[in-house]
Amino acid sequence: MLKQNRKESRQLGIMTLPAVIWYCLFSYLPLFGVLFAFKDFTPVPGRSLVYNLLVKSPWAGLRNFSYLFRNPQSRAVLANTLFYNIIFLIAGIVIPVFLAVLLAEIHRKFFSGLVQMALVLPYFLSWVIVGYCVYGFLATDQGQINMLLRAAGKEAVQWYQSPQYWRLILILVGIWKSCGYSLIIYLCAITAIDRTLYEGAVIDGAGFAQRVRYITLPQLQPTIATIFILSIGSLLSSDFGLFYQVPMDSGALQEVTQTLDVYVYKALMQQANFSYSSAAAFLQSAVGCILLISSNLIIRRIDRESSMI
Amino acid sequence: MKKTAGTQEYIRPQDSAFDKKTDNLVSLFFLVLIILAFLPVLLVIMAAFSSEESVAVYGYRFIPKEFSLEAFRYMFSSGSTLPSSFMNSVFITAVGTLLGLAVMCPCSYALSRKEFRHRSALMIFLMIPMLFSGGLVSSYMVNTQILHLRNSYWALILPGLCSTWYLMLLRNYFITSVPDSLIESAKLDGASAYGTFLRVVLPICRPVVMTVAVFQIFAYWNSWYPALLYIDTNHTEKYPLQYVLVNIERSIQAMSRDAQYLSGMTGYTAPSVTLRMAMVVIAIAPIMILFPFFRKFLKTGLTVGAVKG
Repeated sequence: MLKQNRKESRQLGIMTLPAVIWYCLFSYLPLFGVLFAFKDFTPVPGRSLVYNLLVKSPWAGLRNFSYLFRNPQSRAVLANTLFYNIIFLIAGIVIPVFLAVLLAEIHRKFFSGLVQMALVLPYFLSWVIVGYCVYGFLATDQGQINMLLRAAGKEAVQWYQSPQYWRLILILVGIWKSCGYSLIIYLCAITAIDRTLYEGAVIDGAGFAQRVRYITLPQLQPTIATIFILSIGSLLSSDFGLFYQVPMDSGALQEVTQTLDVYVYKALMQQANFSYSSAAAFLQSAVGCILLISSNLIIRRIDRESSMI
Repeated sequence: MKKTAGTQEYIRPQDSAFDKKTDNLVSLFFLVLIILAFLPVLLVIMAAFSSEESVAVYGYRFIPKEFSLEAFRYMFSSGSTLPSSFMNSVFITAVGTLLGLAVMCPCSYALSRKEFRHRSALMIFLMIPMLFSGGLVSSYMVNTQILHLRNSYWALILPGLCSTWYLMLLRNYFITSVPDSLIESAKLDGASAYGTFLRVVLPICRPVVMTVAVFQIFAYWNSWYPALLYIDTNHTEKYPLQYVLVNIERSIQAMSRDAQYLSGMTGYTAPSVTLRMAMVVIAIAPIMILFPFFRKFLKTGLTVGAVKG
């Protein structure tokens, strides 16, 4: 029997092999690339990457990181990333929870389904498509908004050259795209709440506001905590598509649209500056990891049930 | 191991907190909301069905001044790059989704079995990349310099093949939905681990496999970032549809930036105003068509974000 078990364990092990190989190649092999952040990478053409990185490039210590914090451009990029992410973190919880609480009480089931479908649709569109949707409104000559402005006798706006509007635009677009998905997650959690809790509350004379305050929100707490922990783990990461594709990579908008992911991409692809961009990428990963683990620990201290791990 | 709330069965509250009047008001609020949420997509669709002249004069409108299928007719005529890029997207989506399932399903089955000895070690192996990743620069360097994926279809398929989220979703479903007794009896009948998995487990777990398939189909269909990174301009024949759209968007930008230089030039080949919107419609269409059918699978998968490990 023991031999039987060993055989089965081996067969199961073989079944995991393709996935293990994939993880080694695409997750673990790049982990060694964090060395880029601590080296002055100067590639010698014709030699292998490993040779160039390990032998040829001198150690830079933390120089790449201190550059990131001293350079005014990358500091602005860091500030942008934090600004957008903190807003998305708050709005990404408050708005969907608010909508889910209302939607859960709607009488017409069919209509509720329709609302969920319509609101979640943008989640499944690519950023490229979203970029075109926004372009339909903001295009200088044919855009819907400039058409309306002209019809009202006002001056048309060169949207893709006017940075002052873009913080608001990007926030709206970001919420539009992701709100429906979180809404459905919260709605699922609400419908899983034991209905007898509400029945008891009704007998005790609780109104809608009190039911939400004392039953729905406390019951939603673990779901909210999970989503909070996950989003705080990506505090320095951003949706590349939102900040690169939606503003159409317009140079005039850079000061308000450039986040760390766009900065890393540009440093890598346009300036071939491996060391700075990988220092920025390392920062993203490290800060995310620390925040994820520590917020999980704090939440676990407060309420064991709500923590993730 | 904590189990996620039972969201399979969608229980609607019969005893809503709203009276008739409040319900109508809230419904109206949601009606306005879904119209607002759908407007951007509608604008693009309507623009695609407008005639070129009417867009030039009146801009993108929700109700076109003049209906026309000219853009679509041109798109499917010879000489257009659309059919080949469309087929590229279909190919990448199909291969990526199927290969991903073939890699992930057996692995998560092994993870769900107590007989598999290394399962806790493997769990940690799979969790670490969720906490910490090498970042864009090192995965770019690994993919281009060590794995030599540049300018190949594999560059568009392999990096998105697996995800720890899906592995955990599959594993949790295998644990909760496949009775141990079923697997034991298959074993008594002399089935190997492979046979049990293929003939007993997979047929039962079709819903969750379909859910992961749906998410992967959307992800591959919408992906353009790998193409931006790994496919250069000498290999336009490998562009997926979404990336063709990115390029068209860039040429719009370039055109408006250099308008004064280009004003005297003829033979500018950027697609016309309605044509690019028609291409967007072609990229949205599969999602819109499949969306209602996928809905029931989405419900299973929406807990993806809330799965606790």
